[in-house]
Amino acid sequence: MSESDGKKPDGNAQPPPPGSPTIHPAAKTGPSPSNPPPSPTASGPRAGIEHQPPAAKPPTPPPTPGGKPAPKHPGFVTVTVDGKELVAKPSENMVDAVKKVGADIPYYCYHQRLSIAANCRMCLVEVSNSAKLVPACQTPMAEGMVIQTKNPRVQESQRAVLEFLLLNHPVDCSICDQAGECKLQDYYQLHDYRSSRLEGEKVMRTKRKVLGPLVVLDQERCIQCTRCVRFMAEVAKEPQLGMFGRGSAEYIDTFPGKQLDSNYSGNTVDICPVGALLNRDFRFRARSWFLSAAPSVCTGCSRGCNTFVDFMGQDTYRYRPRDNEQINKSWMCDQGRLSYKYVNQQRLAAVLIGRGEDRREATAAEALKSVAEQFKALAGTEGLAVLASPVASNEDLLATLSFARDALGLRSVYVAGRHEGPGDHYLMTPDKNPNRKGLEWIARGLELTLKPFSELGQAINAGKVKALYAVGGEVPVDPTLVAHGFGRLEYLVLQSSNESAITAQAHVLLPSAVHVEDEGSFTNLDGVTQRFRRAYPGRAEVRSHWAWAVALAQEFGFPWTQTSARDVFREWAPRIPELATFDWDGAAPPLKVTRGLNPLATGADGRPPGYREFGPPRVRGI
Amino acid sequence: MAHADEREIEERPPEEDSELEAHLQTRRMMINLGPSHPAMHGTVRMRVELEGETIVRADPEIGFLHRGFQKSCENVTWNQCLPYTDRLNYVSAIMNNLGFLKAVEKLVGLEIPERAQYIRVAASELHRMHDHLTCVGAIGLELGGFSAFLYAIEGRELIMDRVSELTGARLTTTFGRVGGLNRDLPDGWIDRVNRTLDKIHELLGEVDGLLTANRIFVDRMRGTGVITTQDALDFGFTGPCLRANGINYDVRKAHPYWVYDRMNFDIPVGQNGDNYDRYLMRMEELKQSEAIVRQALKEAPPGPIIVDDWRVALPPKAEVYGTIEGVISHFKLVMEGVPVPPGEVYDCTEAANGELGWYLVSDGSGRPYKVHVRSPGFAILSGVPRMIEGRMLADLIPTFDTINMIGGEVEQ
Repeated sequence: MSESDGKKPDGNAQPPPPGSPTIHPAAKTGPSPSNPPPSPTASGPRAGIEHQPPAAKPPTPPPTPGGKPAPKHPGFVTVTVDGKELVAKPSENMVDAVKKVGADIPYYCYHQRLSIAANCRMCLVEVSNSAKLVPACQTPMAEGMVIQTKNPRVQESQRAVLEFLLLNHPVDCSICDQAGECKLQDYYQLHDYRSSRLEGEKVMRTKRKVLGPLVVLDQERCIQCTRCVRFMAEVAKEPQLGMFGRGSAEYIDTFPGKQLDSNYSGNTVDICPVGALLNRDFRFRARSWFLSAAPSVCTGCSRGCNTFVDFMGQDTYRYRPRDNEQINKSWMCDQGRLSYKYVNQQRLAAVLIGRGEDRREATAAEALKSVAEQFKALAGTEGLAVLASPVASNEDLLATLSFARDALGLRSVYVAGRHEGPGDHYLMTPDKNPNRKGLEWIARGLELTLKPFSELGQAINAGKVKALYAVGGEVPVDPTLVAHGFGRLEYLVLQSSNESAITAQAHVLLPSAVHVEDEGSFTNLDGVTQRFRRAYPGRAEVRSHWAWAVALAQEFGFPWTQTSARDVFREWAPRIPELATFDWDGAAPPLKVTRGLNPLATGADGRPPGYREFGPPRVRGI
Repeated sequence: MAHADEREIEERPPEEDSELEAHLQTRRMMINLGPSHPAMHGTVRMRVELEGETIVRADPEIGFLHRGFQKSCENVTWNQCLPYTDRLNYVSAIMNNLGFLKAVEKLVGLEIPERAQYIRVAASELHRMHDHLTCVGAIGLELGGFSAFLYAIEGRELIMDRVSELTGARLTTTFGRVGGLNRDLPDGWIDRVNRTLDKIHELLGEVDGLLTANRIFVDRMRGTGVITTQDALDFGFTGPCLRANGINYDVRKAHPYWVYDRMNFDIPVGQNGDNYDRYLMRMEELKQSEAIVRQALKEAPPGPIIVDDWRVALPPKAEVYGTIEGVISHFKLVMEGVPVPPGEVYDCTEAANGELGWYLVSDGSGRPYKVHVRSPGFAILSGVPRMIEGRMLADLIPTFDTINMIGGEVEQ
């Protein structure tokens, strides 16, 4: 047990235990040297819980001829990497710091947000204050240190480590999901491009062992880096994985009788550098090089974790977390990870008019005309209500609520949304709607009051509300009950992305886009507004909520000319004080990692863009 | 009035020497040769302005075969560019393939195995013969000598048979990989090639007998399509068209590559820079290439045909199926391509029509950043108006033949 047990997780690893070299005050100011540590008493984790501070050692020794010279940049550490000078903070890890001068140290077990294990030995580099090669992830930088990351000794070490790692690695590339995003493949081609010297059989272990509802383990592919063990213990605070056995018989497993059922188990799949831990939901569904990535925001709850949407053609295959220091670091919860399914399943694509037997497909123009006719008659009266969903983006809500106020003359709007669910101790919030805060801000800014869904139910039952313009088909109670209630409406216009029990009750059903199909922004529960990018356009007649609102307003005779989400934001956001200062274009995550011309444009996550326009390969048997 | 008419008639220009000849109402005509024309090799349009039979102005217009070769190469890996290079000079595809690979290997800094170098030389020369045979046959054909064409094409077919045994395709060979060759010589191939060369020797004798001393042929070819040496150099002529002017420049001798410095061959050099000399260059080069092929195939040592570096060459299939290292290397090479270090290079080989240059830019990934081809035909085609203006329309045809402009390489 460590001192961070019981503390709320914040996405970072626990601080190292007291007595370890890295919390030594010398490490904060730049000791000289720190490896071996300056004081014989503070010798590492075994040196008792209370560490002995060094005997009055000044952080910067006096510049006497016999002593060490003062640091070149006070407060920083100046080292030489491959002949180039690097100035870094002493608390920075060497592996990260050397990237600034273009050096690349390979690693498997190191992760910026986890504790240091230094068991993979891939990051061994040559430093001036040690005769042996030292692991770069574990070695604090000392003033004046000379680091070599590319000389023959280091290269031979990298080659040897890879050879040993690959000795018992199964020949699985053709069937392993990780192919194309596997660090073993990448580093092999760079550092060890030789053939195997193994004579005999490889060690065989359990393949495809189901660890939990989302994760399956292939023990043969594991390289025992323990990233998953450390993550579950330190970040998710649910130590459900462990390393068992000793030596070359080590293996990762869950504890007897227990499962890996944490809400953060999917992150172990992300951080596993090889294909040992795999996502059961995504397994065998797509090859990673066919997928393109679009930066987006998760819509599973109101936390607003940043994601990459991996898509091929017009289908979303998975969500991956995107780094965001403020909100979700590099993690996502499983519920959010699996929340991509509604983007693909049971989507509405055609404009439909009529209930029951009268239902038929229609053109958008026809439907809009009929809606405008009906609403014009009821505009301004109590009989017409608007139901807004906090799943819609800020731009959708800006246009829709402006339409409600200006064209329909309403002063209040009902709020739908997904019903509440469980929250957890870290990322997942009980409110499962991504944009409730945005809806509140926009309604306040446009001087509309928000009324809860229950009041709408009462109003419909009392016969006060006869016509409803429902933007978004997510309702906080059982959809069949809601459908029954909506059956009493004389005129229901429903803009929904997915089919549900309610869509059968709509007199006019307009298919709407989800967040991956348009640009926009969400505001999370902490008031942070974030932009998401478009992955692919919607199918058939699908349009965003704002596009339907603008078209309806045009039918009403308003001279609205917005043709993009940016136009919508520019037009109405200035009236919302909280959104007026939001830099819509500047806050957008880039669709390419490197700016400027790329001959084969790299995608949003640095990988090639995938076969975005082709869809899944048409191969027999798949 | 009759008197005025008589005076008008007397004021006719002096060339009109006969009263009975009607005053020819000549005017400058612009006619279109091509792009779809049997004598315009590969979709080139010649806008020709004629005064009677005399070409006053000739304006070649290209672009009808532009297929975006350079852009296509940017989207695929280095080895996947090879099928695109086949289609440049499609009559001597192997020379394009191997020329491209030579430039890539220079950028990577690779030395290919000796056996691969010998086989590359032999295959290149075989396709040089292929190109020259087609050219010589076409010259005969378009001047009316159909039989010569058929003999030459027979020879070409024989070479195609050998090449299809070697590479798997008659025309678009995709021969070689970065670092060497993809496959070795088939069994018995060297014997078959030697017998083929004997047969071609006979066929060349026939063609020679039909054309070289043929009066009609000589009358139409000698003294037509003349370009001065200075003009040839200024336009950037290389290859047989330049050597027909007397300049002894051949990349194989000036900057020897592969094992050309060990081959015994001569460079034929002409004098007059007219069509006939260009034809003779090709006939002579055919004989020299035959000698090179025989020598190279005899002297090719046994050994590996591709470098043994798995960062560049695919591992042997047994390793790919059996070891993790092999399958990883195979995966990376196929999916991402050979990692050519960032940089740029210009490298050239002596193709059938002249200096075939490659300007490659690499950004360090497995795909090219830029591939530009300096095609010999481009420079030579630009010199055609100089060769033909002031001459007769009938001279345009053999001129266009002897320069052997291949549409694919000119327009990429």
